[in-house]
Amino acid sequence: MNYGPIKARLDRGELVILDGAIGTEILRRDVTWADHQVLSRPTVIRAIHEDYIRAGADVVSTNTFQLTRRALFNHFRDETHRRQIGAPDLDDRADRLLRAAVELAIEARDAAADGRAVAIAGAITTLEWCFRPDLAPTPEQARAEYRETIATLAEAGCDLVLIETVNSVGEARAAVEAANHVGIPCWVGFVPDERGELFSGETMAQAEAALAPFDPDVLLVNCAPPEDCRAGLGELGEARRGPIGIYPHIGRFDPPEWLFTDEYPPNRYRREAVDWIELGARVLGGCCGTTPEHIAALAELRAPS
Amino acid sequence: MTSYDSVRQRLEGGRPVVLGGPMGSELVTRGVRWRGHGMLTDADAVRALYGEYLAAGADVIRTNTFQLNRRIYLDVFRDVAHMRHIGAPGLEHRAAELTRRAVELAREARAASGRGEAAIAGVLSPLEHCFRPDLAPEAAVARAEHAELAVILAEAGADLLVLESMNTLGEARAAADAARAAGLPFWASFVLGPDGRLLGGELLAEAAAAMREAGAVAVLVNCIPPDGVGSALETLRGGPAGAFPHLGRFDPPSWKFEFFPRFCETEAWPPARLAEAGAAWHRAGAQIVGACCGSGPAHTEALARESRVASRGSREDEAATRREARDPRLATER
Repeated sequence: MNYGPIKARLDRGELVILDGAIGTEILRRDVTWADHQVLSRPTVIRAIHEDYIRAGADVVSTNTFQLTRRALFNHFRDETHRRQIGAPDLDDRADRLLRAAVELAIEARDAAADGRAVAIAGAITTLEWCFRPDLAPTPEQARAEYRETIATLAEAGCDLVLIETVNSVGEARAAVEAANHVGIPCWVGFVPDERGELFSGETMAQAEAALAPFDPDVLLVNCAPPEDCRAGLGELGEARRGPIGIYPHIGRFDPPEWLFTDEYPPNRYRREAVDWIELGARVLGGCCGTTPEHIAALAELRAPS
Repeated sequence: MTSYDSVRQRLEGGRPVVLGGPMGSELVTRGVRWRGHGMLTDADAVRALYGEYLAAGADVIRTNTFQLNRRIYLDVFRDVAHMRHIGAPGLEHRAAELTRRAVELAREARAASGRGEAAIAGVLSPLEHCFRPDLAPEAAVARAEHAELAVILAEAGADLLVLESMNTLGEARAAADAARAAGLPFWASFVLGPDGRLLGGELLAEAAAAMREAGAVAVLVNCIPPDGVGSALETLRGGPAGAFPHLGRFDPPSWKFEFFPRFCETEAWPPARLAEAGAAWHRAGAQIVGACCGSGPAHTEALARESRVASRGSREDEAATRREARDPRLATER
């Protein structure tokens, strides 16, 4: 019911504003990135969602990037080792954090949407590292794990899932199949390289062709610098008739944190976005390094209602 | 006389050597945000912690370089070109810079501590995640990458190297080669699985023999729970041996890619309990005793107190006590 008005706007070819970064925004608010902080610092997370909603975001994404059982279990050799030395609550920690994250987004909407339709997108990414297609699990394994995560997000109250920073067609398809199986709408964001291709070497046209039978509502490009995302958006626009979108990162990845730069202040970001709209983008947002001010600048591009 | 000489004398004289506690997990416990091993943002906290281990009586402190190498940066990018394209400037050299800084801060702490005889052990650890033997790089690659780190640690002034939490014999051999080439004495320490073998599956006895043959002065186990130490020490008989187990349980972050030093339920091991265990390890043949993640300076202090008792015991038993009388620290105690 929250997604209906958003979908209608997409169908009419109108702009939809996605939120900005949450992980790097946590850092900017002086909290460590090591954890999602949905249970340890819930007020910080809720406040970020609220700020994006007040800035004009139509869709806010949950703070659940790479929050999976696999990510926690990867820190151990295997199950016996985990049981020997691991914290006692690891078996269901991911599940609990996913639910708490969705709950915070719902609370933020209740507090800040002010009657406006705001949809909550459960954010998920590749099961292994988002920039490393070489680590991707098999499609069968991926499908099973995506089903589990997406079912939890749907059950907890998400209106759609945002499958983002995807680096290969195979993993995108596994995730979209899982979303269809669960019965929740989905958007898919690919991380493009400088030529606008996927990190796996596949093209946006191949991605569109492979996903078409599963009918994801929007295909996007994200988590690359604006110029790379622009290249990917161009490729996507040529291949696809359905809605497309873009949400680049700004600044620099400084593992394990983010380096904020002043290269793309909100005004410049908005000027770039005018060009993205020209290229066909109808969903605009921000990835790492963007702030509520950037989203407010994008929201100014929406036709007055 | 280098700072390692006093440690060498203790080992050769059959006396206990107290190893300082962990840097990462204690810094995180103290609220340091874990980035750059704290050394760019919280250098004072790093230096202070080294100093506290020295003040607590550590004969050897370990550098804040656990799981610090070029891979922890490179692994989170598609490749080097991607790192240069979207990464912060200077990432390619970050690990080397931090490694050097870790030794410098340790030396500053030692200079300020009045413990000039204490040795600084440069820590070499698995190049990939310490609990993931399946990710260990192949031998030639591992040798080259450990060599790079060993040279930096040696040039920066480490007195010895500790190959810590080694999870495969293959990588331990590679690191041993690198340590030897860097010209520093080295100790080798393994992380074991629940079955008492290396996490990678090799027998501890074989790994210990291989390390002694490769020139390791001592062989140890670490980053295992304290209750696994006793049986490991049985296996390590036949040369200088030691242990520095972790306390509590590993509590990984919900979003972080490399090893993150956080342990929970550490209250199960207060310093007094660890000292009791340490006494048993001394009796079981451990000469080098310390604690790893989850412990702090109070644990080092309790172990140091306990080891002085063990040391007195050995003095009464052995004829080599005259040499010890010249040790000014022991003389002060009397």
